[in-house]
Amino acid sequence: MSSRKVVVALLVLLVVIIAVAAWFFLIRGVGAPTVVKIGKIDPANLPAKETLSSALFGAGDIPTLDPSLAEDTTSIQMGLELFVGLTRLNEETAQVEPGMATEWKVSDDGLVYTFTLRQGIPWVHYDREAGEVVVVKDEQGNPRYVTAHDFVYGVKRTLDPKTGSNYAYVNWIIKNAQAVNGGSELGDQDPLYGKVDEIGVRALDDYTIEYTLTQPASFFPGIASMWINWAQPKWLIEEKGDKWIEPENIQSYGPYVLGDWTHDVSATLVANPFWPGIDSVPKPSIKYIHFTMLDESPSFANYEAGLADVAGVPLTELDRVKADPVLSKELSINPEFCTYYYGFNVTKPPFDDVNVRKAFSWAVNRKAIVENVTKGGQEPARWFSRPGLTAAPDPAKGDDFGPPAEGDPVKAKEFLAASKYGGADKLPEITLMVNQVEGHVKIAEAIQQMWQETLGVKVNLVTQEWKVYLDTLDSDPPQVWRLGWCYDYADADNFARGVFRSDSGNNHTRWKNEKFDQLVDQAAVETDLQKRHDLYVQAEKILVEEDAAIIPIYWYTRVQVTKPYVTRTYGLGGHEAYEKWKINK
Amino acid sequence: MKALTRPPTSLWVDAWRRLLKNKAAILGLGIIVLVFMVAIFADDSVVAVLAGREPQPLLAPMHFAKQSLENNNAVPSWLTHVFPTLKPVGTEGGYAKINDTYLLGADYNGRDLLSRIIYGTRVSLAVAIVGPLVSLVVGVSVGIAAGYAGGRTDNLIMRFVDIMYGFPDLLFIILLMALFRSTTGAAEAGTLRAVLTGIDNAMGGMFFIFVGIGVTAWMSMSRLTRGQILSLKQKEFIEAARAVGAKDGRIIWRHILPNILGPIVVAQTLNIPQYISTEAFLSFIGLGVQRPTPSWGSMIADGASAIRTYPNQAIFPALALAAIMFAFNFLGDGLRDALDPRLKGTD
Repeated sequence: MSSRKVVVALLVLLVVIIAVAAWFFLIRGVGAPTVVKIGKIDPANLPAKETLSSALFGAGDIPTLDPSLAEDTTSIQMGLELFVGLTRLNEETAQVEPGMATEWKVSDDGLVYTFTLRQGIPWVHYDREAGEVVVVKDEQGNPRYVTAHDFVYGVKRTLDPKTGSNYAYVNWIIKNAQAVNGGSELGDQDPLYGKVDEIGVRALDDYTIEYTLTQPASFFPGIASMWINWAQPKWLIEEKGDKWIEPENIQSYGPYVLGDWTHDVSATLVANPFWPGIDSVPKPSIKYIHFTMLDESPSFANYEAGLADVAGVPLTELDRVKADPVLSKELSINPEFCTYYYGFNVTKPPFDDVNVRKAFSWAVNRKAIVENVTKGGQEPARWFSRPGLTAAPDPAKGDDFGPPAEGDPVKAKEFLAASKYGGADKLPEITLMVNQVEGHVKIAEAIQQMWQETLGVKVNLVTQEWKVYLDTLDSDPPQVWRLGWCYDYADADNFARGVFRSDSGNNHTRWKNEKFDQLVDQAAVETDLQKRHDLYVQAEKILVEEDAAIIPIYWYTRVQVTKPYVTRTYGLGGHEAYEKWKINK
Repeated sequence: MKALTRPPTSLWVDAWRRLLKNKAAILGLGIIVLVFMVAIFADDSVVAVLAGREPQPLLAPMHFAKQSLENNNAVPSWLTHVFPTLKPVGTEGGYAKINDTYLLGADYNGRDLLSRIIYGTRVSLAVAIVGPLVSLVVGVSVGIAAGYAGGRTDNLIMRFVDIMYGFPDLLFIILLMALFRSTTGAAEAGTLRAVLTGIDNAMGGMFFIFVGIGVTAWMSMSRLTRGQILSLKQKEFIEAARAVGAKDGRIIWRHILPNILGPIVVAQTLNIPQYISTEAFLSFIGLGVQRPTPSWGSMIADGASAIRTYPNQAIFPALALAAIMFAFNFLGDGLRDALDPRLKGTD
């Protein structure tokens, strides 16, 4: 064989190698690996040193993983690990930080927000059979990166009336969104109804999103952090329908991926090796997060037995935990941006009479409840918007109105005497309804007895299971009912306007007050902080004092125990940022 | 001359004598009488109702709903010696607030446990009376109708009972409760549902428990009665009664009923613990009497969640429940032995 032939052969070989390499790099796009082997997950037997077992979820299944449909803290907690919004609320300060968007601009009139997106973050899926985290590919075999189109799709899907999102009303601030969603006066007769392409959100290019609002709203970057505005995988949802959130299908892009979801029992998250880590959402340090779905008491028993690393503390165990030399050091009590309240159905007698409502509110000794029943360092609430939220009234700033913390039995009796009923014996039968949870029932019994002792009114106490209870509140609220409200974005707007404006989906009182609506609308567009605060003070005075549509009871705290080898942060809004936690076992 | 035979006595006097010899049964009877007394004189409602005023606590130290929130979970000092884990405030790791006004301790809202247990007897005993009453009236009449008529009627009635037997009792009661309770808020005035829930509210939530137990308890009684009648119907003394022209009603009332009363009473006494435990179970899962009316079941449920911190809150109502269940069981056993000596020792 001559040397020339060898050269030709080598050249041919070289060409073949280059061609194959080019095929790999250009067509398959294998610049970086697209598969990372994790190994198969056995939820009952995870490696202890790399696993955080969280008992913070209650009994019952995670309601949903669909960002458009999530409305409870459990679903949102899971979502926050699987997805990241354009912005992210810091769990400890509630301040807006960049999330998937690196920066955003607002137009001079405050109506147009433009977000610039981070590049190169892929959609991933955990393949349970192979035990691998796999980057999702499109039809051409290229990796799918999260783009502006995915975010726009998410917004439109939330607002599509066919999706049936209960949280869509928060997005009505976006141009045309209210009409498209069916919230305008014309309802489904509105010419825009269901026309999601008319909504004021669009992708300027693959990595730029523009929102057009109906009014200036300083809190909009907070709304942009919410689950209803996360990116969603259009291709997957169109193929799998409502099964897209099941572990065999789901695709996500956040710090964790869904490793396992055994319905009603447990869920396991696996650290996403493709999440690059950003300032607000670092690359997770703990490899597995294991959530169990148990009631408070068994959860806490598991914690004591060393089967859980973090758990809530049931009311009944609190005395012992506070005194125990070991548990007391593991106990943490932190403020939580939530308000616990009783609402009246103001259309049902006797609560159609404002004086009866006031009598019931003034008869409640909030201080006794937080000191002797809940005992977790909660603060007696005198109005609805929790202090600490932007522009919310704050006792520390000298705001002083609403029913007194200790109640006022004398005034309560006067109010009842001044009502059209004149006294306790002429009142119709009254039912107080709460959802079936140990703690809520105990508080309800205490308040039931306060009404009995102060006003001489016998009130029936009825409990219902959470899902049924929510249906009852939607369809036909009982005379008095219980709810809590936690912040979605840390602004008083989320409380006052978000819950009690007359058209809010979360207002179960059937109470309407034009002046209140005006005040909260005005506060929403106002930019001066002091003026906003003053407007909320006026609005809250109407809500809890003049009209007494609700009985504010207390402002929450979060009472938890954490094992000493866990380094953690403390969430303000009913969920935690597990991606920031560490284990030092 | 020495009498060879003692004077003739009736079946009931004989039975009573045999019963008196059974120590366990007499103990049971004693407990039951005691609990009845406690239930009646928990407060002075007997007098108060006549006088038209609110009843005042009599045997119970205080009213069951009287709360003093600052005394929540208070414990009397003697209990800290019984339960070493209940460490009083001031000792190392101590958390229990000592307050000797509460003999058995106070619950999470500072309500006296002893008073609540005493008032709780009313619910349990009400069930122990109403359950057998319903099943006697309904079950025995159905059983007599079927057994005495015989033939087609018997067949029809008993097949109906068979079908009713197919219902799982507890599930049926739970469904009944869920149906009425979950829709309380939505009951429109004037509807049957509103009327029923109104009655239920007026009875502190006991109405549906009675209905539930009544609906499911009569079936076994009707089977028992029918079986007894079938065997008696052919006996000579019935034939004789018929031969002298006694009417059906008289035969049933004067000849059959007295003869089957023994087994019926025994069966009922042995069923009572089951009714009591059904009520306790329903209250335990939150479907029983309405709060704040105390029931041992709901007290045990409340106490169970605190069992490692305040064991007294679950243990005392549980003891009370156990005591009355044993008492009825012992009495039932004793009655069976006394009324039908041939069955002694059998089950």
